[in-house]
Amino acid sequence: MGYIGQRMTRVEDERLVTGKGRYVSDITPPGTLHLAIVRSLHAHAKITGLDFAAAKNLAGVVGVYGPQDLEPIMRRLPQGMPDPRLRAQMPTPLAIDRVHYVGEPVAVVVAENRYIAEDAAQLVEVGYEPLLPVIDPVASEHASPIHQGSDSNLAAEVRYTVGSGSAALSAADQVVEVTLRLGRVVGHPMEPRGIVAIFDPDTEGLLVYAGTQGVHGFRHSLAAMLQMPDNRIRVVAPDTGGGFGLKTRIYAEDVLVTYLAVQLKRPIKWAGDRREEFMSTNQERDQVHYAKIGVNSNGQIVAVVDHFFQDQGAYTPSGIIVPDTTAICIMGPYRVPHFEAVGKVVYTNKVSVGPYRGAGRPQGTFVMERLLDHAADALGMDRVEIRRRNLLTPDQLPYQNGISARGDSMTLPYGEYQKTMDQVVATINYDTFRDPVQRGDWKFGVGVANYLEMSGGFGFEGAKMRLLADGRIEIATGSSSQGQGHRTAIAQVAADRLNLPFEAFVVVEGDTDAIERGIGTFGSRTMMMTGNATAQAASGFRKRLLEYAAQLFEAAPEDLHWDRGHITVTGVPAHSLSLAGLARHASGQNVTLEFASYFEAAGPAFGMGTHGVVVAVNVKTWAIEIRDYRICHDGGVLVNPLLAEGQTIGGTVQGIGTALYESLIIDPDSGQPLNATFLDYLLPAADEMPDFEVTEVEYPDPTNPEGFKGVAEGGVMPPMAAICAAVENALRPWRVKIDTLPVTPTDLFYQVSRGGIQ
Amino acid sequence: MTVEFEVNGRAVTVDAPLHWLLADVLRNQLDLTGVHLACEYGVCGACTVLMDGEPVRSCLTLAMQAAGHQITTVEGLAPEGQLNPVQQAFINHHALQCGFCTPGFVVTASYLLNQQQEMTREQIREALSGNLCRCTGYQHIVDAVEDALRQSQAAGTTLAKTIEDK
Repeated sequence: MGYIGQRMTRVEDERLVTGKGRYVSDITPPGTLHLAIVRSLHAHAKITGLDFAAAKNLAGVVGVYGPQDLEPIMRRLPQGMPDPRLRAQMPTPLAIDRVHYVGEPVAVVVAENRYIAEDAAQLVEVGYEPLLPVIDPVASEHASPIHQGSDSNLAAEVRYTVGSGSAALSAADQVVEVTLRLGRVVGHPMEPRGIVAIFDPDTEGLLVYAGTQGVHGFRHSLAAMLQMPDNRIRVVAPDTGGGFGLKTRIYAEDVLVTYLAVQLKRPIKWAGDRREEFMSTNQERDQVHYAKIGVNSNGQIVAVVDHFFQDQGAYTPSGIIVPDTTAICIMGPYRVPHFEAVGKVVYTNKVSVGPYRGAGRPQGTFVMERLLDHAADALGMDRVEIRRRNLLTPDQLPYQNGISARGDSMTLPYGEYQKTMDQVVATINYDTFRDPVQRGDWKFGVGVANYLEMSGGFGFEGAKMRLLADGRIEIATGSSSQGQGHRTAIAQVAADRLNLPFEAFVVVEGDTDAIERGIGTFGSRTMMMTGNATAQAASGFRKRLLEYAAQLFEAAPEDLHWDRGHITVTGVPAHSLSLAGLARHASGQNVTLEFASYFEAAGPAFGMGTHGVVVAVNVKTWAIEIRDYRICHDGGVLVNPLLAEGQTIGGTVQGIGTALYESLIIDPDSGQPLNATFLDYLLPAADEMPDFEVTEVEYPDPTNPEGFKGVAEGGVMPPMAAICAAVENALRPWRVKIDTLPVTPTDLFYQVSRGGIQ
Repeated sequence: MTVEFEVNGRAVTVDAPLHWLLADVLRNQLDLTGVHLACEYGVCGACTVLMDGEPVRSCLTLAMQAAGHQITTVEGLAPEGQLNPVQQAFINHHALQCGFCTPGFVVTASYLLNQQQEMTREQIREALSGNLCRCTGYQHIVDAVEDALRQSQAAGTTLAKTIEDK
């Protein structure tokens, strides 16, 4: 019948469009106390004293707490993704003696409402003795260590070599070198972080509502911090207003709220605001690359060498996943015989870096695509032509690129990469725009960038099916949604695999009570993992139901047949039961009809795609406008093309944000963020964004039975390189080089002024 | 201090300190949690409500300023169990992902629909530029609003024609 592949609208939506969504900040149990955080005003300082007197005197304040008052939880937060290459630094829930970035939690206030809590936080007096902050990531390597007891700011070095590495550059006809900078991007889910904790003193159970991307991991980390067994904590992720990787792990506030809920025996809520998103939630991108490409005169790549710095900020909440993924994603869909990447991860006095949509994939793509553009320019070759000469061809696939990522070499499965690129080149009218086009004050330029989207490929995820009393089937999974539409897509898979109507399924996610184990939603893994677990569970679940029905009919299971939810003894039509009927029998006999299956990843999926963009640059104002945008994307077998298109366009707009608007400016002397509001740090809005034309190609992934690939991070990977290429192309007469993100009218103005208008 | 106003067609009397914001009173005292707070300084539009039919930022409006006015939140755009044309179009076009910005967009777009003016796609984009969305990339939202406008105009035309015919 085929629900997989249908552009179905979402079962999630009716609640959300009528205001009935239930997000963490909407949950206020009776008697709730509200918590506010006192945050560091300095990037680097010694704390010389804390004075709570004024704050405690404010009517409605229940308590004010510093590290000495919360001694039992003043241990380091658990390391996310431990790595032998990393000298990790993790914070305590409140800073002890020293602060390491502007915004680090210093003290905490609990009060009868949020107004009072925030007013009281202002009244807390913190004595600081400022220290010199370390801000520049390149200088940081040899600067005085920001963490006491550490002898260096170098947190880790990631290193990959294929073939002869940098030594191979000497064999190239031409070597091009480029310095690339990516700004510090703040992820900004529209719902700020928040948490509500409710402790029941009778059962000693803790119920936690948190907008987290993985309830089981969140619970385990909390349990470690609170020294409670996991099974006394239930974590529920209700509707969650975007995650993008930033809500993967616990933060200091989660520990403070839950601990105080246990101590005070009252529900406690912290609803973070936008200012706190700017000053406390993990940030990303923020790298400097010194990259080289060696090519032969015919454009063939000989070697790619990239030495880069990851400005890590103060701590390593998610290990070195971002720089590591950057390094392994540089080669992309190309044949690169010799390769070397060395990434130095350095501590600075800024908010910590942790995964934000792409988690290194966009950075790696930016490096490779910019190198190819520069190499083509140096050879006097067309920028699309150099890509055509280096893209892997169908006869070379599957291809092992020699990068050992999490064990085995990365293996790129079959795809027709050139066909994908050619589709975009044709529809974007590349041949028209690659030569200078000017209309009035607007100069037009075109850019094309390819990418290789790596998705899923780690851990497990489960699907637990259970027959409900009304004959519907509940599917529970540990992989919760922050807007992806899992409840719709997972039901599509289940409906096909059980040959039942879509409406027969209820998907439950984001609740540690719903399923025993789970990892969560990140790395574009859910359809690969939960999708396959669902398909796997379907056959076991059907078998379980048939066996039970066989008992009821006193027949052999193989004599029963399953037809759209009716189980009938073959040849005896009178002996037939609907699923609701089966459920009634089961309930009467105290039998639970359920079956769980866990799918283990065999490796990541890879999908290749291309973006093409036409920009117009105004030669009086230097405004940059996007005039056309074409995408060809491989999402493997698509469960729901409507949702996949939403992911692709949404990701692309986030990439355009990184390309054109978004960068948190940190004052180099004081370490203060200078544009930490939505008035000064611009997110893309409706009127700057174009309409996108998305073409999907579907090359099934060979590592999972359903052929699914992740689709959430392809969009965010190539826009930066494509837009830089297009702006350079538009302004070719001035020979500007767009290697620093974001690209702004101000930068163009200064570059052209320096070069003189020709 | 006491303030009286009308919310979604219902008269309410609220007791709140002078400096409390309309958004907080709607959310916390009247349980209208469809009013969302994402920036709390009037940029993102998630808290948009209608005051006497005009969109306002409830995070920049004191509750006291609502005295004597009619407020409509996302919960009041259609009778219980029904959807207004904008809400239906948002579902049809997959114009929402996480849904957190959605109430603000739906309220703004419903205001546009009430204006009964033809709008180009560019005009729709400009009219929606006071609402931020981080998930969708806006295209499906513009599709939805365009569709809702077209349908309501077609319905309006049909209605006018029916009256004329009579």
